[in-house]
Amino acid sequence: MMRIESYKELWTVIRSNKLSLTGFIMLIIIVFIAVFANYIAPYDPYQRFYPPFQPPSPQHLLGTDDVGHDIFSQLIYGTRISLFIGFLSAVIGTLIGLLIGLFSGFFGGAVDNILMRFTDMWLSLPTLLFTIFLVAILLRSSQYPMIYGIILAIALTSWPSVARLVRSAVLSIRERAYIEAVKALGASSTRIMFRHILPNVTSILVAEVVYRTSYAMLTEASLSFLGLGDPTTISWGMMLYYAMVRYAVVLGYWWWFIPPGIMISISVLSVMLVGMALEEYFNPRLRSRY
Amino acid sequence: MKKYVFQRIIFSIITFFFIITLVFFLARATGDPLAELENDPRISPETIQKIRAMFGLDKPLYIQYIDFITNMMLKGEFGYSIIYKRPVMEVINERFPYTLALLIPAITLSNYLAYKIGIEIAWRRRSKIGSAILTFSIIISAVPYFWLALLFLYIFSVRLGWTPIFGAVSPGMSFSWSWEWFADYLYHYALPFTVLVFRSVFSYVLYVRNTAVDILGEDYVNVAMAMGLSPEKVKYDYVAKNALLPIVTVLGLRYAFLIDGAILTETVFSYPGTGRLVFEAIYGRDFWLLQGATVILALSVIIVNLVIDFLYMFLDPRVRYR
Repeated sequence: MMRIESYKELWTVIRSNKLSLTGFIMLIIIVFIAVFANYIAPYDPYQRFYPPFQPPSPQHLLGTDDVGHDIFSQLIYGTRISLFIGFLSAVIGTLIGLLIGLFSGFFGGAVDNILMRFTDMWLSLPTLLFTIFLVAILLRSSQYPMIYGIILAIALTSWPSVARLVRSAVLSIRERAYIEAVKALGASSTRIMFRHILPNVTSILVAEVVYRTSYAMLTEASLSFLGLGDPTTISWGMMLYYAMVRYAVVLGYWWWFIPPGIMISISVLSVMLVGMALEEYFNPRLRSRY
Repeated sequence: MKKYVFQRIIFSIITFFFIITLVFFLARATGDPLAELENDPRISPETIQKIRAMFGLDKPLYIQYIDFITNMMLKGEFGYSIIYKRPVMEVINERFPYTLALLIPAITLSNYLAYKIGIEIAWRRRSKIGSAILTFSIIISAVPYFWLALLFLYIFSVRLGWTPIFGAVSPGMSFSWSWEWFADYLYHYALPFTVLVFRSVFSYVLYVRNTAVDILGEDYVNVAMAMGLSPEKVKYDYVAKNALLPIVTVLGLRYAFLIDGAILTETVFSYPGTGRLVFEAIYGRDFWLLQGATVILALSVIIVNLVIDFLYMFLDPRVRYR
């Protein structure tokens, strides 16, 4: 995999840009919060306090919600689900895109044509709308939206752009001399694809997984906000959903609806910035852009 | 050119059938729509059989599929809404104009603004203001639509009281071709529209800027500069003009993206458009309503994409003379 020098170079790229560095540090903090949520949160997020709708106080830093949950503790625990769903669905989505892009680029011709038309169709659809539709379908066979259903739905709507990227990379790799050499030696298509082409597109995939994670985190938050979150978990989108349906905005309970939004924005931003830094690292041509 | 037009139309039709097929099989794949009833001891098997026959559920799957398509396309039937107790199509017909009236001006204005800002900050990419706007737009693209909407609602409606808290018109106001109605409509329209435009401008500026920066690195721009053309001429005639094509290409994606934004924004402002309908359908577990709204919104995406393809033809001579 990557050698020590590559890590050093990556670090140089990150350090050279103030935004990337900020994003990198923020992401480390967020991952730290997610991992040690149970030590950082002052209360069990499901514990109920009386009275509900408390404003911020030294006991409850961000007050309590409609059923008396400590909002600050919920905020801390929400980090976990956001990162978990975001990352896992990004990985699955990227893998689907990778497979489709590999096949399409490698075989070309009719396979390419059909797969790419199919990709274009998916790409042209409103992502969130179709994710909602997929979750709603899964919902019909269960009592409430399950976390793995949500991950699957996000993954199924996030692969098309990855497929396009991988395909164009494969198209250029396919023409190189060493592929011809391997072919002449009699390697099978599968072997060429996975053994000789795949390692050369991994660099694209690393940046793409990170990018997809930021989008998936936004999609997860939007789904939860629309009431399609897994009610057995705590997520920032769902906190905002309850805040909205319990009229927190109209009642002016800013401590209930402002912090979750800040958390979503900060974590999505940090992942996005790291993604941009990785993209710059793997594609030095882009460095001249900034 | 005829071939191009023909190809685009065929592709749109295929996309439409693809979506309908997807919707049909996904909706059916998850099981028997009457499974709930079978568990109910109060309903006899004969009644279930009758219901099955009534809805054509006893026929083979491919006949159901054909029925599904003909009902949708020829009769405009999308089933019956559970929460509204009316045909889904009737509900959507009432709501869709509100969404369209939000989306079309929003996409026009936001693309125009993003284009202007993007070119400008690409041109001044080494300046303080250029990088400040760039940073700001990266930050805004990480902020979710719905939270921005909640924040705007809190600041402008709740705190400042400048705009109403919900709806497209005041309660009790019924539609008429009058200034009174129109003024009231605009009064409600202002905030959701602002949120949509604001968020989508800044999520797009980065793309326009990068496109323009890449063009700035092209040889023909260097040549133009070396020839001693005025910077203004290079900026508008060489950079801005050439940045237009890649921007038109993603216009369809932008429209689809704005639909996602409208779902979230309309939900926050209780704006009675199709986007809010999606939320209501989720909230009320009204699957047929959700399915109808999904198909109609997807159909609008296809039509918009087709229009953009034709627009592209007029902008790009390479396509026109092919």
